[in-house]
Amino acid sequence: MPEIFVLAEHRQGQIRDITYEMLTKAREIAEKANLMLTAVILGKEVKEKAKTLAEYAKKVLVVEDAKLENFNSDAYQKVLVNLMKEYKPTLTLIGHTSYGIELAPRLAAALNMPLATDCIDLALEGDTLTVTRQMYGGKVNVNATLRKAESYMVTVRQAAFTTQKPVTPLNGEIIEKPSLLTEEITTKRFIQYILPPPGGVDITAAEKLVGIGRGIKDQSNIPLIEDFAKTIGAVLACSRPIVDKGWLPNDRQVGSSGKTVKPKLYIALGISGAFQHVLGMKNSDLIIAINKDPNAPIFSFSDYGVVEDLFKIIPSLKNKIYELKGQKA
Amino acid sequence: MEFKLNEEQQEIKRAVREFCEKEFTPELALEYDQKEEFPMALYKKAAQLGFTSMRIPTEYGGQGYGVLEECIVVEEMCRVDPGLGVAVSLGNLMVPDVLLQHGSEEQRERYIPPLAKGEKIAAAAFTEPEHGSDITRMNTTAVKSGNEWIINGDKQFITNAPIADTFIILCQTDPNAQPPHRGQSLFLAEKGMQGLDATKLHGKMGIKPCVTGSLSLSDLRVPETNLVGELNKGFYYALELFDGTRITVAAQAVGMAQGAFEKALNYAKTRKQFGQPIINFQAVSFKLAEMAMKIEAARLMTYKAAWLYDKEKPNAMATSMAKAYASRVAMEVTDEAIQIFGGYGYLADYHVERFHRSAKITEIYEGTSEIQKLTIINFLQKQA
Amino acid sequence: MDIVVCVKHVPETAEAELKIDASGKGIEKSGLVFYINEWDDYALEEAVRIKEKFGGTVTAITVGAEDSDSTLRKCLARGADKAIRLTDPKFAGSDGYATAKILYSVIKNLHYDLVLTGMQAGDDGYAMVGPILAEMLGIPHTTMAKKIELEAGVAKVNRELEGGLEEQLEIKLPALISVQTGINEPCYVSIMGIRKAMQKEINVMTLADTGLSEADMGETGSWLKIEKLYVPPAEKQTEFLKGTPDEVAAKVAEILKARGFI
Ligand SMILES: Cc1cc2nc3c(=O)[nH]c(=O)nc-3n(C[C@H](O)[C@H](O)[C@H](O)COP(=O)(O)OP(=O)(O)OC[C@H]3O[C@@H](n4cnc5c(N)ncnc54)[C@H](O)[C@@H]3O)c2cc1C
Ligand SMILES: Cc1cc2nc3c(=O)[nH]c(=O)nc-3n(C[C@H](O)[C@H](O)[C@H](O)COP(=O)(O)OP(=O)(O)OC[C@H]3O[C@@H](n4cnc5c(N)ncnc54)[C@H](O)[C@@H]3O)c2cc1C
Repeated sequence: MPEIFVLAEHRQGQIRDITYEMLTKAREIAEKANLMLTAVILGKEVKEKAKTLAEYAKKVLVVEDAKLENFNSDAYQKVLVNLMKEYKPTLTLIGHTSYGIELAPRLAAALNMPLATDCIDLALEGDTLTVTRQMYGGKVNVNATLRKAESYMVTVRQAAFTTQKPVTPLNGEIIEKPSLLTEEITTKRFIQYILPPPGGVDITAAEKLVGIGRGIKDQSNIPLIEDFAKTIGAVLACSRPIVDKGWLPNDRQVGSSGKTVKPKLYIALGISGAFQHVLGMKNSDLIIAINKDPNAPIFSFSDYGVVEDLFKIIPSLKNKIYELKGQKA
Repeated sequence: MEFKLNEEQQEIKRAVREFCEKEFTPELALEYDQKEEFPMALYKKAAQLGFTSMRIPTEYGGQGYGVLEECIVVEEMCRVDPGLGVAVSLGNLMVPDVLLQHGSEEQRERYIPPLAKGEKIAAAAFTEPEHGSDITRMNTTAVKSGNEWIINGDKQFITNAPIADTFIILCQTDPNAQPPHRGQSLFLAEKGMQGLDATKLHGKMGIKPCVTGSLSLSDLRVPETNLVGELNKGFYYALELFDGTRITVAAQAVGMAQGAFEKALNYAKTRKQFGQPIINFQAVSFKLAEMAMKIEAARLMTYKAAWLYDKEKPNAMATSMAKAYASRVAMEVTDEAIQIFGGYGYLADYHVERFHRSAKITEIYEGTSEIQKLTIINFLQKQA
Repeated sequence: MDIVVCVKHVPETAEAELKIDASGKGIEKSGLVFYINEWDDYALEEAVRIKEKFGGTVTAITVGAEDSDSTLRKCLARGADKAIRLTDPKFAGSDGYATAKILYSVIKNLHYDLVLTGMQAGDDGYAMVGPILAEMLGIPHTTMAKKIELEAGVAKVNRELEGGLEEQLEIKLPALISVQTGINEPCYVSIMGIRKAMQKEINVMTLADTGLSEADMGETGSWLKIEKLYVPPAEKQTEFLKGTPDEVAAKVAEILKARGFI
C-alpha cells in the first residue's frame, strides 16, 4: 500500500504541535486516497513518543541513534533518504518550521522530488497534488500544482490545520529502523540552545498585544488587564485617550499619532475602532475585539468579535487560559 | 534633449529617499518642529553618508557632483519633512561654495573638509536689520588695522548663526565707494572669536529645526588672511553665489510641494464621505491634478536651471524663474493639501500644515519672489 | 574570504494595494516599487561586514530582469565588488528550484568560501533556494541565521527557532548560510558608495552562459506550477462569538490556543 509520510518534529523532549496538525491533515488525505498514514520519528530515545504518534498514525517508523539526539538536518537527510527510497511514500509532509526549512528543500533536491513549501492547504487527486500557499506576505493566495512525480514533498505552515485526535486511536504499528549512520556527522554540529534575553517594552516588537481603550473606564482597572495580558505573554498597548489621560506612557499608544504595530495577536478591549487607531493595528495577524457596542467600527477590522462587557469576559477568560495551560489561576 | 535622470542620479535619489523615509520620522519631525532645535545627530548621520556635501569636490572631502545632484538630494529631504529637510541640507550652507569660487587654497583646505564631513556648521551673513532685499549697502563695516580687519555691525536672520563654527560676513570695506556695492568684501570668522555674538531667534512660522539668529559684531578682529578673494568684490561674489544656491531653494520648494501632494493624494483615496472616497469628487480630484501639474512644471524649471549651471554657465534668469515659480507652487500645493485633509489638515498630527508653514520661507530667503522677478525683468529687458 | 550573495529584486507590497493581473497567475507590477528583498539586504550587509573583517571579495548575483540592476547597484554601492545578473526570457516562471539551478550553473564556477542568501523572498516566500543550492554545490548549509561567527574552517551560527529560542551550530566551510532579518542592521547607501559603484560593471549572463537547457528552467524546469492567484477570502468578516460570558471566554481561549498563543 502506498504511503504518506509525516515527519514528527520534536525539541527538548516535546513533540511539537505542527506534528499533530500534519497528522490530522494527512489522515484526511490518506483516507481519501487510500494511503498508509505513516509517522516518522528520528531521535535518540524516542520510542515513548512513538506511542503517542501511534494514536494518530497507522504506522510509526522509529529511528533511534545517539547521533540524532539534537536536530541536525544533515543527519536527518541521510536517514530519510534511505527510508524514503525504501518506502517510496507518495507524499511526505514536513513542518514549515525552523527545522523543516533547514531540512526539506535540500532533502527534496537530493531525492529529486517536487516540493511545495509553506502550504496552508493541499489535496491529492489521482496523481496530481494541488497546494494552496500564500505570496506577498499573505496578500495573495495561490493555487499551484506540483510537477507530476511518483513522490511529492510538502512543508506545512504552522497552525494551518487544527489538530483533531482520531475518534479511536489508530494504534499504528511501531517499527524500528536502523539509522545506518556509520560515522559522526561532521559537516554540521549542534552546540547549544540559546534562550531569549529578557525584554523591555517596545510594543512594535511585541508578538502579542492587548490594546485597551476608553472602555476600561478607570486607571484602577489597568492592573486587571495587565494580569490578563501576562497569562498569554502579551504586552499592554492602548488607544490615544488612555495616553491623554496619563494612564499609560505614550510609547504604548497605537494609531496614527502613536505607533504602528503588526503583532501576531492584537486583542482590542473597549476600543471603538476610530480610524486613527485602526490605522496603527489593522495589519495585526489576528485581531480579537471585545466591545459592548455591536456597531463599534472595530468589528469591521477584527477576525473575532465579542459583543459584551469586557469586565465580564476578562476574568473568566483568564481562568480558561490557566485551565488550558494546566495551571492554577 | 533628455528628460530623464541618468542612472547615477537615480541611484542618488533612491539612496537619499530611503535614508529620509527611515530617519525623518513624523515623530522626530514634530519633536523638532516644537523644540526649534537643530537636529545635530541626524545632520551628522546624513553628512557621513555624503548627502550634505554633494557639490564639494572630492579633494575637500565632498562628493564632487553638481547643482542638479544637490537639488535631487534637497528635494527628497524636503519631500519627507520640510523642517528637517531644510535644516539638514543647509548645515554647511554657502561657505564652501564661496571658498571654492574665490577662497585661497589655504582657506579651502582649512575650512571646507570639516564642513564637508559634517563636523562643523556654516553660516553666511548678508542680511542686516536695515538691509534685506537691498544689500547694495551694508551698515556692517570692516576697517583695516595693521594686519587685521576690525568688523562692527549687526546681522539679522542668519541661518545657523547660533550653532555655526564658520561664518562668512559681508561688510562695507569702502564706505565711499560709488555705487556702494563696489566697496563690499567678504570675510571669514570663526565661532569663539571675541566680538562675535549670536542670538537665537524664536517663533518662526516654519522650518523650525533650521535655527536662525542674529549676529552682533563689535570690534571683531579677523586676520587679513580671512578676506575672501579680492577686496571690494564681496557683493559680486554674493550674487554669483545666489545663482547656484537659489536653485537649491527651488528644490526645497519642489520637495515640500511633492511631499504634501503625496499625503493629500493618499488621504483622498482613503477618506470616505457621502459613502465614497473623496477622490471621487471632481472638486477634489481636479485639485490633485492641478497640484501634480504645477509640481512637474516647477521641477522641470528647477532641473533646467541646475543643468544650465552645471553644463553651460550659471543663468541668473533661469535660476530666478525656478525659485520664484517653485516657491509659489509650494505655497499653493501645500495650501490645497490642507484643504483636502479638511479639519484634520489643520492639526499638527496630520503633518501637512507643517509643509504649508515651511513652504513660505522659500518665497522669502535668498531673495524674495519680488527680487527674483526684478532679476527676470532685468534680463528680459537686456535681451530685448 | 570570498563571498557570493544571492539577491532578488522584489516589489514592496506590505503597504501597496495588490491587483491580480489578467492572466490570473500574477500580480500587476505597474505602480509597485521594487527593492532588494528584505532578507537579502541583511545577507548583503553580513557579507560586507565579513569582508571588512577578513578581507576577500563579495559578489552579488541575481536571476532577474534588467530592472534588477538597481538592486545590484545597491549591492555594489554598499560594498560588493562584483555583480552578476542572469537575465533571459526563458528564466521567467522559474520557481525556487529552477532558480537554484540557474544560480548553481554560475556559482559553481566562482571561487567562494561562503555563499549567503536571504532565508526567503518577500514575494513568493519559498524559503528553498538556499538549501537546494547548497545541495547542488555539495556544501554544508544552514538557514535562518541570526548570528555568524567565523573561525578557522568553520562558521558558528545562531539559528532562529520558534518562540524566541535559538540554537547554535557549527558548520564547515565552504558553506551556504541563509540569513534571517535582524542578524545585523543594514547600512544606508552612501553617496561615496554610489560613486564607487558606478565604476563597477554589472556582468550580464544569459541562458547560453549557464550551460543549462530550456527544460531546466521556467515552468518546465520548476517543481511548482501556479494555477491561480486570488485574494484570500475576506478574513475580516468578523466572526462573532456568541453565548454567555463564560462560553464566549472559553471560545476565545480555544482560539488563542489553536493559534499557538497559549
Ligand atoms: C488628530 C487625531 C489623532 C488621533 N490619533 C489617535 C491615535 O494615534 N490612536 C488612537 O487610538 N486614537 C487616536 N485619535 C483618537 C481617535 O479619534 C479616537 O478618539 C480614539 O481612538 C478613541 O479611543 P477609544 O476607542 O479608546 O475610545 P472611545 O471611542 O470612547 O471608545 C470606547 C469604546 O469602549 C466601548 N466600551 C465602553 N465600555 C465598555 C465595556 N465595559 N466593555 C466593553 N466595551 C466597552 C465602547 O462601546 C466604545 O466603543 C486621534 C484623534 C485625532 C483627532
Ligand atoms: C528663516 C530665514 C532665514 C534666513 N537666512 C539668511 C541667511 O542665512 N543669511 C542672510 O544673509 N539672510 C538670511 N535671511 C534673510 C532673507 O534673505 C531676507 O529676509 C530677505 O532677503 C528679505 O529681506 P527683508 O526681510 O529685509 O525684507 P525687505 O527687503 O524689507 O522686503 C520687504 C518686502 O518688500 C519687497 N521689496 C523689497 N524691495 C523691493 C523691490 N525693489 N521691488 C519690489 N518689492 C520689493 C520684498 O519682496 C518684501 O515683500 C533669512 C531670512 C529668514 C526669514
